[in-house]
Amino acid sequence: MSSEETNSILSLNSIEVLYDSVLLAIKGVSLEVPNGGMVALLGSNGAGKSTTLKAISGLLKSERGRVSRGEIRFDGKIIGDVPPQDRVHMGICHVIEGRRVFEHLTPDENLEAAAPVSMSRQKINDEKARIYEYFPRLAERKASQSGYLSGGEQQMLAIGRALMTQPRLLMLDEPSLGLAPFLVAEIFGILQKINREQGVSILLVEQNALAALEIVSHGYLIENGRVVMHDTAEALKANSDIQEFYLGGGEGKNFHDIKHYRRRKRWLS
Amino acid sequence: MDWVFLAELTVNGAITGLSYSLFAIGLVLIYKSSSVPNLAQGGLTMLGAYVVLAFSYELGWPLWVAIPLAAVIMFFVGLGIERVALRRLAGRPIVMILMMTLGIDIFLRGTTLAIWGGAPRPMGLGVSYDPFFVGPLLLSRIHIVGALVAIALFVAFMLFFRSRQGIRLRAISDDYMASWSVGISVERGVGLSWALASVVAVATGVIWGEIQGVDQTLSLLLLKGLTVAVLGGLDSIVGAIVAGILLGIVENVGSGYLDQMVGGGSRDLVVAAVLILTVMLRPHGLFGRHDIERI
Repeated sequence: MSSEETNSILSLNSIEVLYDSVLLAIKGVSLEVPNGGMVALLGSNGAGKSTTLKAISGLLKSERGRVSRGEIRFDGKIIGDVPPQDRVHMGICHVIEGRRVFEHLTPDENLEAAAPVSMSRQKINDEKARIYEYFPRLAERKASQSGYLSGGEQQMLAIGRALMTQPRLLMLDEPSLGLAPFLVAEIFGILQKINREQGVSILLVEQNALAALEIVSHGYLIENGRVVMHDTAEALKANSDIQEFYLGGGEGKNFHDIKHYRRRKRWLS
Repeated sequence: MDWVFLAELTVNGAITGLSYSLFAIGLVLIYKSSSVPNLAQGGLTMLGAYVVLAFSYELGWPLWVAIPLAAVIMFFVGLGIERVALRRLAGRPIVMILMMTLGIDIFLRGTTLAIWGGAPRPMGLGVSYDPFFVGPLLLSRIHIVGALVAIALFVAFMLFFRSRQGIRLRAISDDYMASWSVGISVERGVGLSWALASVVAVATGVIWGEIQGVDQTLSLLLLKGLTVAVLGGLDSIVGAIVAGILLGIVENVGSGYLDQMVGGGSRDLVVAAVLILTVMLRPHGLFGRHDIERI
């Protein structure tokens, strides 16, 4: 266990998040992202996935939320009080939900805006070239207004923009949201490539468990602000509860039966 | 119809209008970064002029020292206002921030009145009042200087917004949350836009101080500056320039003919009509940014 801890780039130890000093949004989430690993955080709407990511990136602050208990360690250091822009400099980058590209800037300018202040012109150009290699579609449209890119292109731009910050941990909040399945496959493939080639650790938040479990090594399941299950991707895919509630049900279900006998999620009772 | 009279009104209107643009550029800078029309821009303009006078008139230093020095001081005044008064309002309803800028304007007017009194003082820029003819047209020299300064600042800011720092400011004006998520310091960006707007206020204060003398009425330029900024679209530097020229022409030509009928004083009427009509007919102004909605 101790060797695993030193190998983690990120570890959350039973953190709680309070909004407006009253609303407890997550109640004890613990998780680990191994250095260079790829981990998924799964769960349904409102389970606390986005809040967990915001606690890690520090963006909670702008929504009047705060971590009220527990500790977040990045690279072994506790980062409780570090402001969000300094966390980015440390190597944590959060691709927020809903793409949120800078709509009135071109893709090229989106990338420039995200480059660290200290980065040299030469390095910026190299980085941009590397990102356009991952996302050739962006290169084609680099001079158009980003607000008019398609959803898939905007998601690619959001990821590329995050790569510009030189992250060591990339956190993505629902990158598959509203995208056609072939695009999800394309983007997840690129994430895997980035993870392999750059050694960037990835924490992926998804409702689309099926797609996510294909590319990660481990997954955490979060429900009502708590981690209720943690296992390897293989084991999670094989788990009957996961199959039923997150992977679209088992085979040959008789829908008539479901009406009479609705199986409860075991871990909630 | 007297064509020379009309041409003279038009050209002088355009030049005067560019001096309004000068004011509007300051408004646009702050609106771009924080989506608030800065009602204190008039107060800053007046303060800028008084700071210049504090060096040139009271200490007797030459203007070419006093003006840059005032620009530096106002840069930090702008940073300070953002830091002390506005940063804590981040995320609050816009109307709160608007009220804050109004409060700052009143505060600045009161402060300058207490320190320097209310008697108008000359700026002493030394621009000649001799008639200046271009062909048959009689033009105002000081307004030409104002127009040139406006154009110079326009070019400078167009270049600035293409620089890396400028791109970051535009990113901030697009999306605070996304800016934070990639490590852009939103607070510092908004502070910088206040600082730059305060420097623009010095330029505006010097030009308009020369035109109408330095006293608290300088802050009333806000009406015309705001009209120009709204007509131009509030977040567009190009808009501020084009709208300034347009408003100047409409005001000068409109009042040039109206005054003969009503016996004077129709200038503000024309300006107010432009403001009201813009908001009614084209709320985004001429060059304002529309929020992009893909379908």
